[in-house]
Amino acid sequence: MKMKVAWAALAVLAVTATGCGSDSNSGEGSGKTTITFWDNNGGARTPIYQELIKRFEAANPSIHVEYVGVPIASVQQKYDTAIAGGDTPDVGGVTTSYLANLTGQQALEPADEWLAKSSVNGKLVTSMLDSVRRTVPDGKLYLVPNTSNMDVVWYLKDKLQQAPSTWDEFFKDADELTRKPDEYGYTIRGGAGSIFQILAEMYSYSGLTEFFDASGKSTVNDPKNAEFLAKMAGLYKKDTPEADVTNDFPKMVAQFGTGKIAMMHHNLGSYNDHVKAHGKDKIGAFALPAGPGGKRTIVANPVDGFAVFKNSEHKDAAWKFVEFLVSHDGNSYWNEQTGQIPANTEAQGDAWVQGLEHLKTAVDTLNDPNTQVVSPPYYLPQFSSITKADTEPLFQKVLLGQMKPQEFLDTLAQKLTDAQAEWKKATGG
Amino acid sequence: MTTMRRKAVPYLLISPTVALIAAFLVYPIASVAYYSLQHRNLTRPWADGFAGLDNFRRMLFEDEVFWHSLGFTAKWVVAEIGLQLILGLALALIVNESFIGRGLARSLVFSPWAVSGVLTTGIWILLYTPSTGVLRFLGQPEAAVLGNPGTVFPAVVVTELWRGVPFFAILLLAGLQGIPGELYEAAAVDGAGRTRRFIHVTLPHLRDAIVLATLLRGVWEFNNVDLLYTMTGGGPAQVTTTLPLYVAQRAVDSKDFGYGSALTMAGFVILLFCSILYLRLSRFGEER
Repeated sequence: MKMKVAWAALAVLAVTATGCGSDSNSGEGSGKTTITFWDNNGGARTPIYQELIKRFEAANPSIHVEYVGVPIASVQQKYDTAIAGGDTPDVGGVTTSYLANLTGQQALEPADEWLAKSSVNGKLVTSMLDSVRRTVPDGKLYLVPNTSNMDVVWYLKDKLQQAPSTWDEFFKDADELTRKPDEYGYTIRGGAGSIFQILAEMYSYSGLTEFFDASGKSTVNDPKNAEFLAKMAGLYKKDTPEADVTNDFPKMVAQFGTGKIAMMHHNLGSYNDHVKAHGKDKIGAFALPAGPGGKRTIVANPVDGFAVFKNSEHKDAAWKFVEFLVSHDGNSYWNEQTGQIPANTEAQGDAWVQGLEHLKTAVDTLNDPNTQVVSPPYYLPQFSSITKADTEPLFQKVLLGQMKPQEFLDTLAQKLTDAQAEWKKATGG
Repeated sequence: MTTMRRKAVPYLLISPTVALIAAFLVYPIASVAYYSLQHRNLTRPWADGFAGLDNFRRMLFEDEVFWHSLGFTAKWVVAEIGLQLILGLALALIVNESFIGRGLARSLVFSPWAVSGVLTTGIWILLYTPSTGVLRFLGQPEAAVLGNPGTVFPAVVVTELWRGVPFFAILLLAGLQGIPGELYEAAAVDGAGRTRRFIHVTLPHLRDAIVLATLLRGVWEFNNVDLLYTMTGGGPAQVTTTLPLYVAQRAVDSKDFGYGSALTMAGFVILLFCSILYLRLSRFGEER
């Protein structure tokens, strides 16, 4: 009797437990392979993927792709939870900013062998491939590049006639375009995502070309960077809204969308939001200005692409989908819709790239031999938490005048230096 | 054999309860306790392993944010519970009187309680948004109440009050309705005025309801994450970071589950201790 009850209870538990598990085999009965795809920036991009999936399924009738749009703010959490629960998708959108984190948990399958035999081999931008390989200790290609991005300052053409080419001009413009009580020259990103933007600004001002010096010390707290940060923090509430201190991406874009802000620093990715708010003709973009040294310096943006997960039961189908997404057609469509830089060299040659003014600015800047590129240490698994949870509140303190710029940068530099040393030791580098 | 069966029956009957408690209470608590003694950080997999009391040492002696968040949590709980109790009691007394439209008034009073947490914060964020929110009617179109360390606390307290007062009102109204009307009549005959009737009849009868409501609400406010997380994210500059919010930042955002577990244990012990102390002091449920 007792045994029976116990077995019955066990059986119930077992049934419920399996009920929560993966259902990646659901399509098997119909002879179709079902793969799950997680979009790492679900929302505005969803229709783009829906169209691409339609095209892919038409070309591959035996594969069905299930789309899941994950909001960008929670994508890392979702992946971590999925890895812990063994419930990862077959294919996922991944950027180099958290690639090291995923490979650190042995969640991804390298794509080198697939790529070598693929029709897209040799057609992906080398610098993006290198950037992906540099992110992981074993140098393998865990992420197939789809696009890259560049920081730009978006501006309203009816407010600002001539884009500034130096930071001094920029600060002057920001001040002149501010008309109290409610028109501002600029908006600072003070909430989520603030650190990456301020890093890009500081290095473009200081012209430093390395994140770490020869001894492994972070260059973030260089006096030139601190000088810039003090100037930028000085704009807060003077030439920017008070609400900026908690500005994350949606709030910042919404603010810029009201038409009361003249300039906003973000990247190419928000192009469609601005067009929706202001119309194509009113929007302009310039690359981050040069500092007193006069040389254009840009901080390399993360490379965004697709990864096949190790737990996938349909890796070949998964790769087929990835291959389709980064093919000339797929890649061209995706990047044209989002207004970003294609990873496929054939797509880069398409006419629409030349037709989009901001994209032309970005491609020209990146291809200019005088442009210096600084690569942030995306390979550090801690990079993301250092530049987000650890230091974003401190940056708010700087804006609020509760912390000195130099003190903030010293803290940030120390964390990066420690993480770099620890990582080198752990990877035997 | 029969005696053994007899003996086994009660255990068998309580076994589903025990199994459920073990699965949903003991196991999670034990696993957090276990991880609090481990280094477990997804961003530093090479350093994972037994930590002993390292996480607790770091928490108690090196982490300023922990102490700050603890202080803020206390301030938050005390402010919320105090104000919710006073306003909830006032509302309950009002809707306990008989007047025309009482049914409508009661439903209106309780309606905020039915609104989901994230929706509540969504509404209040819109109200506080500069240039479009309510502050432009006060001649402050550009004031960012949620971005100013001086105004963010009252702003979030008001929001949570809006949501929390109905809970007190419901519980206390139920308590009020359980007080026999004769007691008031007898007190009135003895010459007691409104105030004395309130102090000597109403309050003593509401004691259990008040103790239960403040305790439950106290624990909930302590653990409140949804409102502060969505409204301020604990900011600006961490001034509205409560302990559970800090746990979310360390464990979920920074992926430091070992340290996050240690912080959670601290919260658990504090709540457990406060609850026992409170129930003892208030002599909850005792016959008088």
